[in-house]
Amino acid sequence: MTATAAPAEPVEPAKPAEAPATDLVCKGLVRWHLIMAMFFMVTAMTWGFLVSFQFLGVSPFEGIEWLSFGRLRLLHTNEIAYGFLVNGFVGCMYYAVPRMTGKPVASAKLGWLILGVWQLILVLMSVGQLLGYAQGVEWGETPTGFAPGTWNMNYVPVDFLIELGAVLVAVQFLTPIVKSIHRHQYVSLWYLSAGIIWLILTYVMGNTLPEWTLPGSSGAATAGLFIHDLVGLFVTPMGWGLMYFFVPIILRKPIWSHALSVIGFWALAFFYPLNGVHHFLLSSIPMSVQYGAIISTMAVEIVVTTVVVNFFGTMWGRGDALRTNLPIRWFYTGMVCYFITCLQCMFHTTLAMQEIIHFTDWVPGHAHLVMLGVFAFWILGMTTWLWPRMVGSEWHNRRLNHWHYWLTVIGLLIMFIDLTAAGLIHGFMLDALSPWMEIVRAMHGFWAIRTFAGGMILLGQILFAWNLWKTWTGPKKPYDYRVDLAVAADAGGE
Amino acid sequence: MLDRYTGVLLFAGLGCFGLAFVLSAVYPWMITDGTRPEASIEAVATPVTTEFKQLKESYPVAFAQAFPRADECLTDQELVDVAADDPRRTASDGAWGAAHAVALRAGRDEYVGQVCWHCHSQFVRPVANEAVRFGRVRSAADDNNELQRPVLWGTRRVGPDLTNEGGRRSNDWHVAHFWDPEGTSPDSVMPRYTWFFRDGFQVVRGIDPELAARQGLSSEREYAYPGVFETQAEAEAELARIRESADPNLKAETARLRVVPAKGPDGDGLAIIAYLQWLGTWDASEREETNQ
Ligand code: HEC
Ligand code: HEM
Repeated sequence: MTATAAPAEPVEPAKPAEAPATDLVCKGLVRWHLIMAMFFMVTAMTWGFLVSFQFLGVSPFEGIEWLSFGRLRLLHTNEIAYGFLVNGFVGCMYYAVPRMTGKPVASAKLGWLILGVWQLILVLMSVGQLLGYAQGVEWGETPTGFAPGTWNMNYVPVDFLIELGAVLVAVQFLTPIVKSIHRHQYVSLWYLSAGIIWLILTYVMGNTLPEWTLPGSSGAATAGLFIHDLVGLFVTPMGWGLMYFFVPIILRKPIWSHALSVIGFWALAFFYPLNGVHHFLLSSIPMSVQYGAIISTMAVEIVVTTVVVNFFGTMWGRGDALRTNLPIRWFYTGMVCYFITCLQCMFHTTLAMQEIIHFTDWVPGHAHLVMLGVFAFWILGMTTWLWPRMVGSEWHNRRLNHWHYWLTVIGLLIMFIDLTAAGLIHGFMLDALSPWMEIVRAMHGFWAIRTFAGGMILLGQILFAWNLWKTWTGPKKPYDYRVDLAVAADAGGE
Repeated sequence: MLDRYTGVLLFAGLGCFGLAFVLSAVYPWMITDGTRPEASIEAVATPVTTEFKQLKESYPVAFAQAFPRADECLTDQELVDVAADDPRRTASDGAWGAAHAVALRAGRDEYVGQVCWHCHSQFVRPVANEAVRFGRVRSAADDNNELQRPVLWGTRRVGPDLTNEGGRRSNDWHVAHFWDPEGTSPDSVMPRYTWFFRDGFQVVRGIDPELAARQGLSSEREYAYPGVFETQAEAEAELARIRESADPNLKAETARLRVVPAKGPDGDGLAIIAYLQWLGTWDASEREETNQ
């Protein structure tokens, strides 16, 4: 494993002055995937927002089974994962992969097919979940396609469609990557290729074994592996793969250290999947497996630091971009959140902390910091950068994008601190044998703050979605690409 | 090799994934659940819980519609007149087991379909005083059964752990709680599950006005008889039956009987209550011993 293998000049420099997006990129596919991503972001967050009212004792749709707490709670996480994250990453890959390989994707027609099939999957998934055809495996809730008993929604083979969709995505993007194989491959393409393959393997594993063959504690070990792989082997490599492309492109300088980027990749591939069991510590899963998971969790966090250091090294000397360039600011805010999340992980994976924080609000606090604070921030940043290029027009209103940033970031910070504090209090009250209702009453205030913070975040997304739409459909304004290329005045409009 | 694309795909894409799969899924399976067969629902459905039998007493109509062979299931009261060697006794045992198995399956499906497991865990850990609060710590053997596939350990405790919920509360408490959690547990944030109920008619007996006045009770108090019937006619028939079988000295009491519209749990409601009352009653350690 030698660092010298990494190419010296990995990223094709964007041609300055003129529109950087060429015919290589099918802009329509980027646009539609990003629009669908934003659509599901807003809907999924609306469910999260509504669900949070249940914690204040207000059922938003009292007495309606299919809009009840449980169903919307399912949609919240599933639409975020399969609606927002997948659409967002695929959309950005339609830009990044052809630009990196110099080859178009396998077929634009296939692209439109994937787009259609995927949205169909999401509709079927949402309907199935609203009607309660869930399976009790977190993120593996989609109807399976076969079930005992009389006809029901479970006969709709959504799981199978998702697997098919993932294979098509693999064909679509691996084609240009494999075609350019004679050239040195940039680590970004490693992340993206491996991520697609891991998605297929992970999805098949998580949607079959815990449901059909493995009961109880071994099923839990597999389910833990599944949720962890989905985040660690799909979302994370997609995110970093795209960061390795977009950050050097926007900052117009190569990545700081190729050695670190290679170490980061292999450390992720090796340690990350070994972490699965850390979702069920202090359980009846054999202790040897639990200790293994704890140690590799700690290991992954140390190595993750190398990646973060690499990106801050790249940023060195260009700190002004944080102030002037909104996409860069999104990316680096995300990286700070990533670092905090990982640091947090390293501590709360210990049995001593598990005793207190497991099963409390600490965990949703952590989940929002990583899913929203890292990966959603990156997708939002990439969307902010790509959108004017993809629709060929200046933003309808740049100021709104800044509102979007601040509302989301401040909202997330409030939510994170609030839920973390709530989790600690919950955990210690549990340990101290306080009566259950006293614990619930102690949480009421924290839950109210969470709803407030959620409202801020949701408002930010609605503003952004509206801005995207207006920029696309409104009168076209010329867009000066040099503004970004010089990393100068993205703060324009202020 | 490791810096080549094929190397990346093989070692990272397949190798690392496979290694983790073996270490964190196959290996734990080999030393826990792989060592003994998974218990079927039928196996864990016996012995039938007392609360399940009470459900039939309290809601005979909904019970008969929801579960198979309900007419063969004889409650303890009905068994009083049945001779010890009567074949109906053995038939009754089999019927209870069959009905219970169906109820547990349906109850588990409701538990998953209503996503109770995002607010409740089924996972007592050996730390944080959990054994004191929630009862026996969970072992791998306890979960090696069909109802725990997929496993329902949960991720969050907004409400208390339900591992050992069976028998902790009465059926009536659960009925009242599902109808309105804030009624039984003020300030609860658990949603109301009104769709576990259906409309029907019930026989009630009003309170003696004099007694109410003497004891300072509301004259609107009433005592409800078991059974929520679909039609008014069925409830009237039940009223007549109660009146007939009543002690003749209680004429004044039976005069206050009347039929009122009421809510009662439907099949789903009964199933989820049966499931909750079963939780923690199946003791895998007994099975271990008989296996040896
Ligand atoms: C929004 C979260 C939430 C959901 C969803 C939820 N519960 Fe609860 N549950 C609670 C809370 C909080 C309590 C404690 C207060 C109370 O008794 O209502 C509770 C209490 C209970 C209890 C009483 C436990 C005891 O013995 O003290 C049972 C039983 C129960 N829930 C069953 C269920 C079932 C079955 C479902 C699904 C149909 C469900 N819950 C869904 C939050 C929830
Ligand atoms: C309007 C903003 C949001 C609100 C109000 C909100 C609210 C909630 C609520 C109430 C829960 C349930 C927590 C619990 O079980 O106790 C939840 C869970 C979750 N949310 Fe959100 N959410 C929001 C945005 C997001 C976003 C943008 C993402 C991801 C990008 C996300 C990812 C998740 C995840 C992964 C969980 C599961 C956590 C767990 O199981 O512990 N949420 N959210």
